[in-house]
Amino acid sequence: MTELVDPGDPAAGLAAVVALRRLADRLEDSQVERAMRAGWSWSDVAEVLGVTRQAVHKKHARRLMAAGVALRRR
Amino acid sequence: MSDHKDVRAILVHAARDEARREGSRTIEAEHVLLALAAFEDSAAARLLADAGLTEDAIRTALEQEWEQSLAVAGVAVRAGLLPEATPDRERDPQIGESTKLMLRRAMDAEPKRARFGPMRVLVGLLATDRGRVARALEAAGVDRAALHAKATEALAAGTA
Repeated sequence: MTELVDPGDPAAGLAAVVALRRLADRLEDSQVERAMRAGWSWSDVAEVLGVTRQAVHKKHARRLMAAGVALRRR
Repeated sequence: MSDHKDVRAILVHAARDEARREGSRTIEAEHVLLALAAFEDSAAARLLADAGLTEDAIRTALEQEWEQSLAVAGVAVRAGLLPEATPDRERDPQIGESTKLMLRRAMDAEPKRARFGPMRVLVGLLATDRGRVARALEAAGVDRAALHAKATEALAAGTA
């Protein structure tokens, strides 16, 4: 396996930005799902994420309903 | 084999499935690469396999690239240990920038009048040393430039 780690190389640094975005997306998807399965409200999830309830609902509601998560109204 | 419109449709369809599967909002070049590797009976998939790039090997290489790029930012993650999210099967990922660049490069590859098949897509995918595909191939120890040369040669020889 070739090591790609070189903090002085902009190509590596920019790739790290992309990798971090993927990580944030993946964590958001999995952790919002985990919270809603645990009975959290959309408002609580939104507050912790620092976004509006509408934003988090729009982004995740359809996916979680399809996944069979019992969602609270508020 | 089916005609070239079918080939493109099949590839886009399979790449979209790949994007959806990993929760991506866009279809990127790496999703097309995975779709191409899984594209049965194509010379492009055989060329990839000959270089050790089976579908599984590509998935592993992409995971390595992710982990190594995160390490640049000081983040130590084992991708396989991350919590899974249920994918949105209804989501319709749009064509991402890396896929647009790949398509442009594929169309520009000589001979321009030849049909647009899997080999042309492969040439487009391998034509850059930037982005996740190139970095994943590097992580896998694959000589991207040599593979690009082979694919270009095959395309010039009339392989679709």
